[in-house]
Amino acid sequence: MNEQALITDAQSGNLDAFNTLILHYQDSVFNTALRILGDEDQAADASQEAFISAFKSISSFRGGSFKAWLMRTVTNACYDELRRKKRRPTTPLEPDNDDGEEMDSPRWLADPNMTPDQQAEANDVEHAIQHCLDNLPLEFKTVVVMADIQGMDYSEVAVAIRVPLGTIKSRLARARLRLRECLQGFAELLPASYRLENGIAQ
Amino acid sequence: MNQRDLELLSAYLDGELSPSDSARLEARINSDGELASALDDLRAARTLLRKLPKRRAPRNFTLTRKMVGLNPPLPRAYPVFRFATVIATLLFFITFGLNTLAPQLAQAPVFGVGGGGEPEVFSQQAPALEAAPATEAPAATMPAIESASDLAPQGTALPPVEESARVVDTPAAKDEAVGNAGDESQTQIMNEPQSPAPFIPSVWLTAFALIAILGAVMMAAMRRSSANRWK
Repeated sequence: MNEQALITDAQSGNLDAFNTLILHYQDSVFNTALRILGDEDQAADASQEAFISAFKSISSFRGGSFKAWLMRTVTNACYDELRRKKRRPTTPLEPDNDDGEEMDSPRWLADPNMTPDQQAEANDVEHAIQHCLDNLPLEFKTVVVMADIQGMDYSEVAVAIRVPLGTIKSRLARARLRLRECLQGFAELLPASYRLENGIAQ
Repeated sequence: MNQRDLELLSAYLDGELSPSDSARLEARINSDGELASALDDLRAARTLLRKLPKRRAPRNFTLTRKMVGLNPPLPRAYPVFRFATVIATLLFFITFGLNTLAPQLAQAPVFGVGGGGEPEVFSQQAPALEAAPATEAPAATMPAIESASDLAPQGTALPPVEESARVVDTPAAKDEAVGNAGDESQTQIMNEPQSPAPFIPSVWLTAFALIAILGAVMMAAMRRSSANRWK
């Protein structure tokens, strides 16, 4: 994929070129939105809004990391979603199983390549981490999601959320420390391979 | 250990420190157990976050032209039709307005004088009232009728000819008025103009309306044709 050529075409209004970029980045964008919002439906809505907004404003992209620019758009969409959520709080609708009880891990979210045990472990870890992420202040959460979950470097994160590099360093360090403290509370719940024994996850 | 040390450790973990800063920090970590423990904590949290399962997008987020508000490219002649339609519509309303309002504006001061009950002035203005378009007749004659009924009890009745000339302004009362009035007054009414010439010839009104309608139809056809081609 020639990203620069696709961006140039998209800037001249070529929607097919932009859709090729979407297919390449949609998993990253969705995962970012999911970790910031903590809700799959809202994350999907925010991702869609982010791509629409990105296409409309792609002429403002002046080079550099396209992923960082896209992440800025999805971050803004997530903030909008959170503001909307605050104005109109809703009760999450959990799917029911055959007995009419709520399912913690819906079947359609399962990875077909995992055994049931592995899936259960992954779900436990995911719930624990998401819980701790949700307890972080929004500005810390955004930085840690981009740096540690999306694997972006500091300069990309700084571009994405428009704050100085020093602020990124500070927020990331504090966010990691808070997450470490929070996750220690789940030490007994986490499977052995995920425990934080001796300070280092295996 | 302070906040600055924590930031240095976190950046060191990500390889964001310069080689000299890294060497200096490594020396401190080797000699300071608290720093080493903090580094382990940060590394553990980062490792766990990286183990977080990556979800696949639940659906494709590709965009359609409708979602981003893109419209199909229209023919080059489209703006010409749009311009012609807008201008024709504006001219139609201006023409219609002028034809409707001009006679009214011309009559407005007449009512001020005629309503005062001066018999001579009223009788001279009666034909002018008749000159108003048919749609204006009821509104235009009501004050005159009221003034007549107001004046009668005070003993300043108007001459019969003048009264009948006023009453015939209302279509409903016209037959009655004609029946009651003498031959002389009937002749006078029949000789009065029935409909005045419009301020702007009505052929223009029709032409503007036709151009506006045809333009709108052509624009709709062009839009539909472009949308079908785009699909």
